[in-house]
Amino acid sequence: MDSSRRLWLGLAALLIASFGVLLFMGGEIHRKAPPMPERVLGSNGTLIYSQADIQKGRQVWQSMGGMQLGSIWGHGSYVAPDWSADWLHREATAVLDGWAQREASAESYAALSAERQAALRGRLEARMRLNTWDAATSTITLDEDRAAAIVAVAGHYRSLFGNDPATAALREAYAMKNDTVPDADNRHALTAFFWWTAWAATTNRPGKNITYTNNWPGEPLVGNRPPATTYLWSAFSVLFLIAGIALLGWHHAVTHGRSQEPQQLPATDPLALVRVTPSMRATAKYFWVVLALFLVQILLGAITAHYQIEGQQLYGVELSQVLPYSLTRTWHTQLAVLWIATAWLGTGLYIAPAISGHEPRFQRLGVNFLWVCLLVIVVGAFAGQWYAVMQKLGLEYNFWFGHQGWEYADIGRFWQWFLFIGLMLWLVLMGRALWPAIRRGDESRSIVGLLFLSTVAIGVFYGAGLMWGEHTSLSMVEYWRWWLVHLWVEGFFEVFATAVIAFLFTRLGLLQAKTATIAVLFATIVFMAGGVLGTLHHLYFAGTPTAVLALGASFSALEVVPLAYIGFEAYHTWKLGHATSWMARYRWPIMFFVAVAFWNLVGAGLFGFLINPPLSLYYMQGLNLTPLHGHTALFGVYGMLGIGLVLFCLRGLKPGLVWNEGLLRTSFWSLNIGLALMGLLTLLPIGTMQLLAAIDHGYWYARSADFMQKPIVELLVWMRVPGDVIFSIGAVAFTWFVMRLWMAPRHEAQLPQGSRAAEK
Amino acid sequence: MIEFYPQIRLVHIAAVFASGGLFFLRGAGVQLGAQWPMVAPLRYLSYTIDTVLLTAALMLASLLHQYPFVHAWLTVKVLLLVVYIVLGMFALRRGRTRMARLGCWVLALLVYALIVSVARTHHPLGLLHRWAG
Ligand code: HEM
Ligand SMILES: [Fe+2]
Repeated sequence: MDSSRRLWLGLAALLIASFGVLLFMGGEIHRKAPPMPERVLGSNGTLIYSQADIQKGRQVWQSMGGMQLGSIWGHGSYVAPDWSADWLHREATAVLDGWAQREASAESYAALSAERQAALRGRLEARMRLNTWDAATSTITLDEDRAAAIVAVAGHYRSLFGNDPATAALREAYAMKNDTVPDADNRHALTAFFWWTAWAATTNRPGKNITYTNNWPGEPLVGNRPPATTYLWSAFSVLFLIAGIALLGWHHAVTHGRSQEPQQLPATDPLALVRVTPSMRATAKYFWVVLALFLVQILLGAITAHYQIEGQQLYGVELSQVLPYSLTRTWHTQLAVLWIATAWLGTGLYIAPAISGHEPRFQRLGVNFLWVCLLVIVVGAFAGQWYAVMQKLGLEYNFWFGHQGWEYADIGRFWQWFLFIGLMLWLVLMGRALWPAIRRGDESRSIVGLLFLSTVAIGVFYGAGLMWGEHTSLSMVEYWRWWLVHLWVEGFFEVFATAVIAFLFTRLGLLQAKTATIAVLFATIVFMAGGVLGTLHHLYFAGTPTAVLALGASFSALEVVPLAYIGFEAYHTWKLGHATSWMARYRWPIMFFVAVAFWNLVGAGLFGFLINPPLSLYYMQGLNLTPLHGHTALFGVYGMLGIGLVLFCLRGLKPGLVWNEGLLRTSFWSLNIGLALMGLLTLLPIGTMQLLAAIDHGYWYARSADFMQKPIVELLVWMRVPGDVIFSIGAVAFTWFVMRLWMAPRHEAQLPQGSRAAEK
Repeated sequence: MIEFYPQIRLVHIAAVFASGGLFFLRGAGVQLGAQWPMVAPLRYLSYTIDTVLLTAALMLASLLHQYPFVHAWLTVKVLLLVVYIVLGMFALRRGRTRMARLGCWVLALLVYALIVSVARTHHPLGLLHRWAG
């Protein structure tokens, strides 16, 4: 059996086994999810909340932007508090204060002696962790002290989400608009949902001394501390990582220098001979849209960051009344995915006919049609979200046309379906253009097939976002949501990135198709070995059983193994960029590909692993260390890849033009330096300070207004401005570069002889 | 963050003088026909100073709740800043003739002085308001 056949078989076996386990764990999560009670009663029988309240509360939460305003179980955004941790702390404090007043005639719990406090804490811990869920009657019963505390905390939230002057300062600190939820009944329902998430986070699983959320969040008042398993699996995950690195190092040592027969390099750029077909030319508008979306994304990011300083205003303009934080953040995160995806869609449509030399009938029509669909989706989905967050849509239509509230999957279900069908159309368009090349069965068939498969996986796995319904349990929504987000970015996107870069090099004649196929197949196996079950690292504390924590920690550590060796790939890429004199034409796309490798190591590998062991994530989830990783990985790897691919396509799309190297150099360095500064001057320091605060005082404190409004924190937020300005200059320079290719092109032929040396 | 107000103000003022001083020197160099004003390290130094300056300015505006396009003196500062930047570009690089470069340089320095005086007086006319009023 030849080695590529063996690798294909290995990959198939790996995928079957991994997805088998992942699906089985999905079943476990479903069975062990925290119960949704029919009714919540006080010990004297009064109804505190009904299931209808909790379910409606969740809809209200989703409609106001869900995870885009504060977080639940640590997942969401970072300016407003984690509502589960915040509720939990407020409820615990209210009970303790009640006892202090009644039993010690003290003003509050805080006024008591340490000894007295410890005694009350002991009582509170036992009461709050006690599980009174009765499966037979679907009832949770709470003692009177807690019932009173819940009424008090609910009062606070009703005030906060309305327009009460008493909580105006907090709304400003949390970047919430006044009247976030204007309807009083809806506000009441919202408190039921928040309470339920806090209940699951404090209540022991039946027969165990560990809560439904594996004791998350850390809260000294109720004895929520990291369970022993988090220590255990953190230590083992480091062990697995080192073992993985050693094993792959061994593999490299053994195969090093094998089968590297020198390649006959082409004398001129083979891609310069490609005939640009009408459908290829039609992809240009995809790249213009990429630029527009990218610039809008940056603008929305700047506004979102500014809301952290002035919660409702932008330099004196009352912006939150028309474009509140939760919307700007929604669109900012969504546009990131959308413009990157558009860049890849355009690239795929551009190179497919180039590979096969075949322009199927009506291909151009299909390309144009898909482009119009994408625009309709962006405009339609965003409009729906605006109506939802402004609370003008109503709960009935919210799930389908408004705001789903799940970060990275927040467009309405209708728009999700539309986008899914669009992606399928994309696959069809690519497939029919590629078909002759795959049928031809020559050397490059395997690598073309591999590239196509990774795009098929990207398209098909978007379907995971359609797996939940409006009332699916929170834990199961999280499970499917991370199928979508994690399996994309840490699985199929990585494969696509590796495959597309290797593929382009084979097309340039710098790499043999056979070598490239084997390298890409091997990389795919390594990525997938950790990546598939690594999905579970997002679900440690999402109401899941302990096995999730063990598997997630162990396999996600393996994801970092290939990243530790990415230097090989970066160097290889860089060297191929200098292999022939005509490769100077591709200098900047190549530089962006090198940046992809760099940020894969730093953003995904280092900053990803920083938050990855369960003990780390127990404290770090939802602190500024998460966006540190999110920005450096998502933009650093896939944003840079998108830009590199756009540049690559532009070489063929606008042939024979002289490129403005200065603009590209400015753009490249500004984007990289700006990204690094954002991380190093703001997100890393704030995240570290929050981490210490969370360990010392409990998670709620690290996310509280008291902490986030500290002068030093605000100062650090301001420190973003220089980095963000530099970053924006990079984006504008890139846009300007592309615009000039159309508006003020300089043709090579117009240059005097001799000055073309660098271009040849 | 008002606790840091004195320090931020100091950084802002220091950057103002650094920026103006550097521009004065580079402009003088250009008038004398020297090459050094346009070398890369000096250009990057000037970008860095200006970014710091602007960041501190935004911080002060949000601390004092005084905003451009809301408060007249800040509006004037921002508009004059644009004029100063354009003039500066022509003084250092874009100006075609020597006279044009010299004129732009002198005008830019005058505008700079006007911005400083607007800042000192918190009045849209700066020191001119004595004559105006
Ligand atoms: C290029 C690859 C990657 C991309 C684009 C990426 C992107 C992201 C994004 C966008 C988030 C959400 C951040 C937020 O909510 O603000 C996230 C969370 C996270 N990522 Fe990654 N990531 C990548 C690779 C990795 C790797 C290799 C690891 C570690 C082995 C990792 C571990 C995590 C963890 C632990 C979280 C937080 C989970 C949670 O809050 O539930 N990521 N990632
Ligand atoms: Fe992940």
